[in-house]
Amino acid sequence: MKDIFFDLSIRSVKLNFLRSLLASIGIVIGVVAISSMGMLGTNMQLMVKDQLTTGINIITVTSDVVRAEPGQSVSTNTGITEIQLRDIRDAAGINDVIPIDRTSTQFSIGSDDGRGTIYGLDPDDARTILNVSEGSTIRGESDAIVGATIASRFGVKIGTRIKIGEPNISVNRPVVRVAGILPTAGLSSSNGINTDNAIIVSDTWYTGEFGGGNTYDQVNVYLKDVTTLSAVEDAIDKKVNRNKEIVRISDSSSRITSVSSTLSSLTTFILAIGSISLLVAATSIFNVMMMSVSERVQEIGILLSIGTETGEVRRMFLYEAFILGVIGAVIGGIMSVIIGYSVVSAMIGNTAYFFLPESIVYIPAGMIIGMIVCIVSGLYPAWKASNMDPIDALRSE
Amino acid sequence: MNGSPLIRLLDVSKVYHLESGDFTALNHISLDIMEGEFVALMGPSGSGKSTMMNQLGILDVPTTGTVSIAGKNIASMTLLERTHMRRDVIGYIFQKFYLIPLLSAYENVEYPLILKYKTRDTTGRAAAVLKSVGFDQEMSAHRPNQLSGGQQQRVAIARALVNDPKILLCDEPTGNLDRKTGFQIMDILTGLHKEGKTVILVTHDPKIAEYAHRTIQLEDGRVTAS
Repeated sequence: MKDIFFDLSIRSVKLNFLRSLLASIGIVIGVVAISSMGMLGTNMQLMVKDQLTTGINIITVTSDVVRAEPGQSVSTNTGITEIQLRDIRDAAGINDVIPIDRTSTQFSIGSDDGRGTIYGLDPDDARTILNVSEGSTIRGESDAIVGATIASRFGVKIGTRIKIGEPNISVNRPVVRVAGILPTAGLSSSNGINTDNAIIVSDTWYTGEFGGGNTYDQVNVYLKDVTTLSAVEDAIDKKVNRNKEIVRISDSSSRITSVSSTLSSLTTFILAIGSISLLVAATSIFNVMMMSVSERVQEIGILLSIGTETGEVRRMFLYEAFILGVIGAVIGGIMSVIIGYSVVSAMIGNTAYFFLPESIVYIPAGMIIGMIVCIVSGLYPAWKASNMDPIDALRSE
Repeated sequence: MNGSPLIRLLDVSKVYHLESGDFTALNHISLDIMEGEFVALMGPSGSGKSTMMNQLGILDVPTTGTVSIAGKNIASMTLLERTHMRRDVIGYIFQKFYLIPLLSAYENVEYPLILKYKTRDTTGRAAAVLKSVGFDQEMSAHRPNQLSGGQQQRVAIARALVNDPKILLCDEPTGNLDRKTGFQIMDILTGLHKEGKTVILVTHDPKIAEYAHRTIQLEDGRVTAS
C-alpha cells in the first residue's frame, strides 16, 4: 500500500528542496566523518598489526632450564628429543614445525676470523622459512646461506668458502660454500631466527660436524593463523609438558597486544571527533524539522480537524526526518567511499586493507547511525506537530 | 427524521481563562438540532459563534454542561474516538477552504477516505463526489493554489462529503467568494440538505442565512433567538 503520509512527506521535502538538501548535508558530513575516521583508524590498526604479526606467528619451543638435584649430574642432553618433536608436530596440527640446531662458533673467511651462530636446518625447511636475496637456497651437502651482516663485513659472495670452527684446534677445518645470501632482517625477523649474524647449513652437515643428531636446540612452530596462537601453545604444553616443565614455549604476542590496544583507543578517539559532526548534523535536522512543523501549523490543523489521528501526523513528520536521513546517508555513503579511500591512501599510504570487511563496515555503520540520528532529531518536532490543538493550529496564519 | 435530536447541547458553558480574567464564550446554552435541519448560526463577532462551532465540530469540550452528538457524550469520549467521529460523522467546510496544499484536488477529496479505510480509494467514490459538486474532472490533478476560490470550495465540499457524514458544518463558506460564486455554493449546500444532510451554517450575511430554515442568534455567549 502506498502510504499517503509518506507521499505528503516526500512532497514536503521536494517543496523545500534546498532547505532539505542543506539539512541533509549535515548528515552527509557526519556520515563521511564517522566512516572515514573509523576506516582510517581501522586501516592503521590493520596495517600496524600486520607489520607486527610478521614474527609473532612463531612459537619457539626450547628445552627448559634444568636445575639439577643435589648429587645428580646435569644431563648433557638438554635439547628437544625426536619424541618431543613428534609430540609438538601432533599438537601443532596443520602448522609448519621446523626443528633447528644451533651453536655459536668461530669461522674464517679467507684470512679474516669471525664469530657467529651456525644454524642447522633441513634444506626443505630452509626453503620454507628463508628467502635469499642473492644466490640460492641450500642444495648440496656443504652449501651454506649467510646472513646480511656477515656477508657485508666479510665481503662474502656466492661461492665464497667459509672454514667453520676454532682455527687452532684442527688443521683441517670443515669448509662450506656460500650458496645464498639473506637480506637484512633486523629485529623484526619474520622467520623466528636471528639470521643477520648467522651461517645456515644443512642439518646433515651440522650434525656431522657438531653432533646432536637426535636432539634439537629449538623448534619453531609457524602458525598459519595468528589467532590460534594460544590454542596451539596450550596444545603443545599439554602434549609435551605432561606434568612438569620440560620445554619452554615462548612467543612475542604481548608486544602486539599492547600496540593494538593503543591503536584501538586511538581509533575510538578519532571516531569521537567524527561523532561531533553528527551532533551538529542532528541540530540542523532538528532545526529544519522544527521549521517544517512551524511552517505547516495550519496544515497540521486541517489534518487534525478533519479526522487525522495524532499517530498519523506524527508518522508524517517522522517520515520526513527519515527521508532527510536516507538522502544524507546515501550521499554520505557514496562520498565516504571516495573520501575515506583518499584519506586512507594519503595518511597511511596503503589501501590494501580498505575493502576488508572490518574497514568497509564503517560505511554502512556510519549510514545507519546517520539515519538514526535523523529520526531521533525528528522525534520532538513530530511529537509537537501531533499534539497541537487543532483549533489553535487552524487559526494560525 | 426520528424523535431524538442529532445534536443536543445541555446547559453548555465554555470559559477561557485569560490573563485579563475569565472570559465566558458560551453561557449556559441549551439547544437541540434535529437530523435533517438546515440551521444558520448568526451573531456579531465575539458572540461565541466560533466557540459554538468548535463544540459542534468535536474540536473542543465544554467547561460545564454536556454536548451530545448522535447520542454520544463528547466529553466522555477518548481523543481517538473524537478523531474518528470527526472523520466519520462531520463534514467541515471552512471560509478559507483549508485544502491540504501538498495534495491535488483529487487527493484532497480522497484523503478522508484514506483516513477511514487506510488504503487508497479504488471505488471511484472520490471522483464521483467531485463530479457531484460540479468540479471539472480535468482540474482534479491541480494543486489548490492553482484553483480559483469557487473551485477550491467545491473541492472542500467534496472532501467534506466523501465519508458521507450526517452533519455538514459550514463556517462562513461564502465569506471568501464573490456573490455569484457564493450563491452557487449555497445552491450546492441546499441540494445536500434536500438529500438529507443536517447543515449548520455560520454566516454574517442575512442573504445567505435566508437559505436556512431556522436561524439561531447568538449574543455574548447566549442564544437570543432560535
